[in-house]
Amino acid sequence: MAKTDTKTASLDRHGLSDDQLREILRNMLLQRQLDNRGFQLNRQGKVPFALGSEGHEALQAGAAMAFHRGRDVLAPYYRDLGLAVGIGLSPYEIMLSIFARAEDHNGGRQFPNHYSSKRAGLMSFSSILAAHIPHAVGAAYALKYRGESDRAVLCTCGDGTTSEGEWHESMNFAAIHKLPFVMLVENNQWAISTPLSKQMAQPEIWKRAAGYGMPGRRFNGFDPLETYDAVNEAMDRARSGGGPSLIEGTCYRYLAHSTDDNDMTYRTREEVREERKNDPVPRFEAILIEHGVMSAQDVEAMRKDVLRETNEATDAAEAMPYPQAADLYTHVYEGAWQPWQ
Amino acid sequence: MATQSKTPLKKDEPSFERHGLTDERLVAMWRIMVTHRTLESRGFALNRQGKIPFASAGEGHEAVQAGAAMAFERGKDVLVPYYRDVGLALGAGLTPYEVLLSLFGRAEDHSGGRQFPHHYASRRLGIQTISSVIAAQLPHAVGTAYAMRYRGERERAVLTTFGDGCTSEGEWHESLNFAAVHRLPVVFLCENNEWAISTPLTRQMAQPDVYIRAAGYGIDGAAVDGMDPIACYAAVKRGLERARSGEGPALVEAKCYRFLSHTTDDDDRTYRSREEVEARRKDDPVPGFERTLIANGVISAEAAEALKRSVLEEINAATDRAESMPYPLPQDLFDRVYADGWQPWRS
Repeated sequence: MAKTDTKTASLDRHGLSDDQLREILRNMLLQRQLDNRGFQLNRQGKVPFALGSEGHEALQAGAAMAFHRGRDVLAPYYRDLGLAVGIGLSPYEIMLSIFARAEDHNGGRQFPNHYSSKRAGLMSFSSILAAHIPHAVGAAYALKYRGESDRAVLCTCGDGTTSEGEWHESMNFAAIHKLPFVMLVENNQWAISTPLSKQMAQPEIWKRAAGYGMPGRRFNGFDPLETYDAVNEAMDRARSGGGPSLIEGTCYRYLAHSTDDNDMTYRTREEVREERKNDPVPRFEAILIEHGVMSAQDVEAMRKDVLRETNEATDAAEAMPYPQAADLYTHVYEGAWQPWQ
Repeated sequence: MATQSKTPLKKDEPSFERHGLTDERLVAMWRIMVTHRTLESRGFALNRQGKIPFASAGEGHEAVQAGAAMAFERGKDVLVPYYRDVGLALGAGLTPYEVLLSLFGRAEDHSGGRQFPHHYASRRLGIQTISSVIAAQLPHAVGTAYAMRYRGERERAVLTTFGDGCTSEGEWHESLNFAAVHRLPVVFLCENNEWAISTPLTRQMAQPDVYIRAAGYGIDGAAVDGMDPIACYAAVKRGLERARSGEGPALVEAKCYRFLSHTTDDDDRTYRSREEVEARRKDDPVPGFERTLIANGVISAEAAEALKRSVLEEINAATDRAESMPYPLPQDLFDRVYADGWQPWRS
């Protein structure tokens, strides 16, 4: 993976203000902190499970910046912690999900890290790879059918998902009907233990766009600003009736797939250590400091604030009650109908 | 990578590219095309007479199937076709009698009269049994190719075929990707006839060239004139030779046209114009190849007429013979369903 030179003379901010650049960094720091907290809580025996998104921070913060809150729809997958907070979910809402409390948006019934929010436009999703993509395309079809302009669906997935039949069927359908849909592939080189070289015979997923008859683009997923530019371009195209796009951000998955996976059984520490040199979080910190957007002290203060926010959210969520056994069938059937009675 | 060959030659062309095929093999290829055309017409006729329940229609596919069959190596390769591949099956060695047994649903049929009409199989010839479900055959084809590679069997390959509609299915995608990752000996031949029952190509995909998807999978891809049997032969031969020698899979797209309705159960007048169909008839590969062979001195006009008569006689005899065969008996319903004749409802 090409390592972007941080010592550039000028910074291409793609029209973003200083405040927006700081917002991007904060999102990246918050994702890293919340992600790490999930692992800690699991190893402490406090939550059953957590997924690791380290390496995806730039990709998700950049994409979130291009998302139009209150108008666009997000159809993410289970590694999109940063995108979820980036479009407006709070750390508290994330923690409620991980702790599986009754107050959670899904009543504690969804798998951890499988959030949803009608308010924010975040579609509830399954663990099953690619299951959400026909749903996302259907949502885009609804937007078109209703004649709604200036709205689009941003759908994300990993490299592994692109081998699934539903991925193909959805891409083809979106193309035929010229839907307001963007397929953002977060290519982190690993699908649990399957490396990219065993996932596909040529490593550039964006090249499949031509086969579907839609635009395709590849970008450096470790660069949040290049990411923003790519997602913004594709979403603008979709919102204005220009149809769907396939965009691919390359990054790397630094941790195991989840708290239930041991990545040392299928890859070396050396490989991971080598890829850590591209870690997008310290990289973007250094860029902002170098270009005078933030001082080193500002960054330190931001990190502390993110930790504070995470701690408060953790404590608040942990204190909330679990769902009651008697409420098992709430929100399953309409009204209060219990069919066995 | 893409090879787009021309439509059949004009009458006064002095020579043509035969890709190493002898006169005898060229005539044999045309005979397959004529047999395919006559047999399919017979299927429609028998259905309209109320003698068989159903027949599918491959008019327009004769060139691609005869060409592909000529490249198929009997006794070594495996064929995993779809339901419109009568010509391919004939070219691989199935007889008109065997096809008619399938249409008539007789007990003597290779599947005991239990398969859907036109869903033939032949273990002897290496033709896998066919499902009606679109794209269901592709994971099976790829699995067969995987077995060949796993066993270290060299000089064998799988030829699998499908229409344009099939390329929208999830299994199509999964199969091509799997074959690519494992460099399997399989040729994917798309018989793009521009119609998936009533869905035109323009509603099937946003760009009309199936073969360009090959690059996305990292495999070889090429388009060919599906109305030119020699060009189809050359394209499929190249793909199969590369596959057999371990160079991995290929996607070949033959552009042809479906002149009739999807099957005897379909009325294409409800979704396309007679003008469109008539306009495409000028590319009809059966008379087209006849003209090419006569113009190039491969066969005389008289011999061509004699061949057509001979094919008709063969099919008439096969029809009468198949029709006279008995249906399967109700008491044989559970034959070959469970091992050793076990009937589970009996204690």
